[in-house]
Amino acid sequence: MSPVNKSEHGLSRRNYWRSLEQLENSPEFQRWAQAEFPEGLSEVISPVTRRSFLSLMGASMALAGLSGCIRRPEEHILPYSKAPEDIIPGIPNFYATAYPHSGFGVGVVVESHEGRPTKIEGNPQHPFSLGATDVFTQASVLNLYDPDRLTSYVSGGQAITRSAFVDQLRSKVSELKTRQGAGLRFLSGLSTSPTLEALSAQLSQSLPQAVWHTYEPVSLENAVAGGHLAFGQAVIPTYQLDKADVILALDCDFMGTEPGSVLYGRQWSRRRGNDGASTPTNRLYAVEGIFSITGAMADHRLRLPSSHVDGFIRALGAQLSSQGLSLPSELQMALEPHRTHPFDARWVSALSAELLAARGKSVIMVGSAQPASVHALAHALNASLENVGQSVQYSPAPIGVASVANPDTGLTGLVAALRQNQVETLVILGGNPGYDAPADLELATLIKNVPTSIRLGSHQDETALACKLVVPQSHYLEMWSDVRALDGTASIVQPLIEPLYDSMSELELLSHFVDGASNRGYELVRAQWQTALGTLDFEKRWRRMLHEGVIADVAAPPVQVVLNGASIGAGLAQKEMPQLSLQNLELRFVTDARVFDGRFANNGWLQELPDPMTKLTWDNAALISPRTARELAVKRGDMVSLKYRDRTLEMPVWPMPGMADYVVAVSLGYGRTHSGRIGTGTGFNAYLLRDSSAPYFDAGLVSTRTGGTHLLATSQEHGSMENRPLVLEATVDEYQKNPRFAQEAVEHPPLRSVFTEHEYVGQQWGMTINLNVCTGCSTCVVACQAENNIPVVGKERVLRGREMHWIRIDRYFAGDEETAEAVQQPMMCQQCQNAPCEPVCPVAATVHSRDGGLNDMVYNRCIGTRYCSNNCPFKVRRFNFFNYHEDFTEIEKMQQNPDVTVRMRGVMEKCTYCLQRINSARRQMKLSGAARIPDGTITPACAQACPVDAIVFGDVNDPESRVSRLKARDMNYALLAELNVKPRTSYLARLRNPNPELG
Amino acid sequence: MDNQRPPMEGEPRRRPTGYLFPAWTNKIATAALTGILVMGGVVTFVVWYYFSPKHTDVGYQPVQPVPYSHKLHAGDLGIDCRYCHTNVEKSAHATVPPTQTCMNCHVTIKKDSAALLPVRESFAKNIPVEWVKVHKIPDFAYFDHSRHVVRGVGCVECHGRVDQMEVVRQVQPLSMSWCLDCHRDPAPHLRPKEESVTQMDWKAPSDAASFGQDLVQKYNIHPPTDCSGCHR
Repeated sequence: MSPVNKSEHGLSRRNYWRSLEQLENSPEFQRWAQAEFPEGLSEVISPVTRRSFLSLMGASMALAGLSGCIRRPEEHILPYSKAPEDIIPGIPNFYATAYPHSGFGVGVVVESHEGRPTKIEGNPQHPFSLGATDVFTQASVLNLYDPDRLTSYVSGGQAITRSAFVDQLRSKVSELKTRQGAGLRFLSGLSTSPTLEALSAQLSQSLPQAVWHTYEPVSLENAVAGGHLAFGQAVIPTYQLDKADVILALDCDFMGTEPGSVLYGRQWSRRRGNDGASTPTNRLYAVEGIFSITGAMADHRLRLPSSHVDGFIRALGAQLSSQGLSLPSELQMALEPHRTHPFDARWVSALSAELLAARGKSVIMVGSAQPASVHALAHALNASLENVGQSVQYSPAPIGVASVANPDTGLTGLVAALRQNQVETLVILGGNPGYDAPADLELATLIKNVPTSIRLGSHQDETALACKLVVPQSHYLEMWSDVRALDGTASIVQPLIEPLYDSMSELELLSHFVDGASNRGYELVRAQWQTALGTLDFEKRWRRMLHEGVIADVAAPPVQVVLNGASIGAGLAQKEMPQLSLQNLELRFVTDARVFDGRFANNGWLQELPDPMTKLTWDNAALISPRTARELAVKRGDMVSLKYRDRTLEMPVWPMPGMADYVVAVSLGYGRTHSGRIGTGTGFNAYLLRDSSAPYFDAGLVSTRTGGTHLLATSQEHGSMENRPLVLEATVDEYQKNPRFAQEAVEHPPLRSVFTEHEYVGQQWGMTINLNVCTGCSTCVVACQAENNIPVVGKERVLRGREMHWIRIDRYFAGDEETAEAVQQPMMCQQCQNAPCEPVCPVAATVHSRDGGLNDMVYNRCIGTRYCSNNCPFKVRRFNFFNYHEDFTEIEKMQQNPDVTVRMRGVMEKCTYCLQRINSARRQMKLSGAARIPDGTITPACAQACPVDAIVFGDVNDPESRVSRLKARDMNYALLAELNVKPRTSYLARLRNPNPELG
Repeated sequence: MDNQRPPMEGEPRRRPTGYLFPAWTNKIATAALTGILVMGGVVTFVVWYYFSPKHTDVGYQPVQPVPYSHKLHAGDLGIDCRYCHTNVEKSAHATVPPTQTCMNCHVTIKKDSAALLPVRESFAKNIPVEWVKVHKIPDFAYFDHSRHVVRGVGCVECHGRVDQMEVVRQVQPLSMSWCLDCHRDPAPHLRPKEESVTQMDWKAPSDAASFGQDLVQKYNIHPPTDCSGCHR
């Protein structure tokens, strides 16, 4: 009586696979997948045999027994001596601030327990993030408690006190003043802080000869240069994707790592069934060489190497113009030769027809990796399609962004000065240029030759080692500052905690160079805004902006732009597209979805987070298409030597379905030599291949197999689902023909339980996950980890399938390996009403609750038989093989959420729907005397963090609740309905909205 | 085999072949079984009685760094519990007061008392007084004072007559079964919201169980008995 897959409807007939190995389906793979944990691996990795393990366990148990003899250890209560205002022990406080991520602010609200910030949430009042967050925002709190942070001032390798440093600095500054700052250079990461801008303006008065350089490994310099080309103005585009019917993303991972992704994902999702409409009302086209999460969400995806995107947009421009779009005449002339092109003509003409039909309601987005000419042409096409002012707006580029794009104030200008020994004092504020500068500049060596080099940084990292004086840098949760979002919205960055160490912020260090400036961050920021806003009612406004996290009405109005056709046309000088082949591969540098540009290398949460597409943890790899892998005769994990110009790098390969052929994509940020106990030595440093002349992609790479292999830890096959129809999708067309396709996907006999089923009355909790918008970005995974004290286990244990994440995001491929499409499915405890885990527990450690109808996990009862995990059809239970919290330093413990039990060795755990939040809402209800908890009061950490609002939680017994209305939709389906497990979590099937012309 | 006749007078009694043990050994089995049962019973009783929180925890009365008398302050002087334990109606923790609260009075009253030296020191140096915790529940159990106090469970129900204690001691086992006794039958432990929860000698006007039953109805009291009510 096995369930039958009903497969007469289009997409639901698809065969899904998670890895190329599964697609092949060799007997080895089948054996591997059927084991609960990939046991064979443990012998490969470690020499500990079962026997020696048992003897160790015996000894440790005997010791544990002894320690149990002390029956009542004396505990102390330490009340405050003088209690601070506003802190009630046991009740968290929330403060609004902003997280500066590579220069741009994300509005956040931070949860603080008795003065310890523990969890970052999105700030719904921030207009440029709308309460959404990304993995970096979520994980940023862990950096505060990084035990490897720099704790003292260092001079020539010796720790010195803060006052000794300040004395040294003062005498240096007065010496510099005598020669008007000649020989003084600053190098900072991108900053949009108005206070910093004001300080550096004052600096140019007191030290007029000083030069300020800005470097950011991955930033918007190409977009700004493109704006210059198109409009003659320093502008950056911002998009309103909720106003767009047709979106074309050119090499642009706007849901992933591009600036503004937090907002863009949410805007896009509003048109994918999140706004009440049942079907998607926009169409996304993606053109890209790597397989990004944006590409996975696209309705149409074209595989093209990044170096061919230039040709593609020209061909599209020519096609648009031939279909009647009026362009500036110079531009039209320049595009004329591109009417014939090597791309799929049907694709280009269908796309161009759609764009024309959706004038004023379309967007062409270009990724930061693309050169200025591509950006300029996209600006021109957006303007001609009447999108500017509608779905596209321009805001003034912050000074910092503009100076990255300017060669004099960028990194190259500094390197030129360093090479000519014109730099006497170099102040490096933040960033890590000693590691992440392009290899050809040899910056670290040049810095070593500077007589006085001062480094403000959080770690004793690659840059700090090259500098004479090192200053510990404050984390953003310890300092006063301000920051602007991409669209110019300003926020105050306010501290949640006194600096853990005697550290300084950028503003505080810089203030020592400015005459008469206060050295305290608070006074600097306050003075800046008092000047900007005036003293009238300032105190009230200041308190308001600290409370709201946003400074109202100070965002600059959108810039009016005028197209300069001649300049754009000139930028389109005839250029041959490189012919890629095995001997001439394209090298593509990508921002990593986990460690970004390397700044998160020492963050355990992000190192262990599986990459959204490759599912790799603790490593990066050279991604190539399966066909290229076959031609190179390499397979997963084989080491190759990548030779580009005169530099080589050895790296393991990872064949990735859906990638363009002859492209080798390497992510930045790994292979750190001095990052700390977590990040040092993980992965391979792609910056060693990076050249300042082609920082994002270039042809001319040669790859040869070295013969070695590297063990890569991936979670992509963990928790295999045996080909059951778990992800369901259809095209809009198919859905309209049979709206109940999802519920009818599996045919099964009438379901009857052998037990009398419980009646669930009162408020009963449930969840929906909308696969239509879930991008797989994994923000929920990190948010869950931060909220629920989930440990990091390390690469070795990930290899054994022992990662502890309560949420696993299953990424399925469909189709063949070249044109693969992908679907993402978050998978956590489904809170089955007839939970298979419960009857098999010998000690009733997992039981059902009457009040919320949830599957409770009782840690203090669990004896660790793991039967429940064996019997869980979703494979979402996690077992503590070790006492992962045992070695936590006092600093690391400060991040832990006091409302959630820290689990011991030998205990099973799993998603609880954030029980602590449910209980806290229930408590509020009881204190206020209300009869029920209103809908929307409880938001689990995953749902709060989700940038696309895919996760909705609420009372399933209330037909008016948001979750009930979603569950009533006809594309709502429960997983494994045929088993009658009755999960409380259900999914909304994915709907693709392909262009009928391309059908 | 050849020896069939009974022994003659004066002839030594011959042991029957095939019996290796003396006859008294027959009693060993019974004695051992009885012994094991008795011992088992004793061990069970000892563990059951002496290892239970009722025996180990009730009466725990550690020495505190400051000889603070609840009897004097709460009993004789009649200071309300909430003057010091300010957050008991708001938070999970009743909160031991900051030193500042002591000093509100003791800047003028008994300001030179030797017993108060640690308090003055704490206030001057801004370091906490290290009180010894009396009422302990395990880390995996999340007890919430506010939920109980606001719904009409008096302090005395768990803490006993603190107003009569010179040094605070534990009077209830605070074990899970003890918690559940009340969660399954809350009626006898409730008082109306108009009455003070801090009044130690409060008595129900009529039979506590039936009086409480009305309050259960009136206040819609459904204490959780799910694991997730207290464990998370």
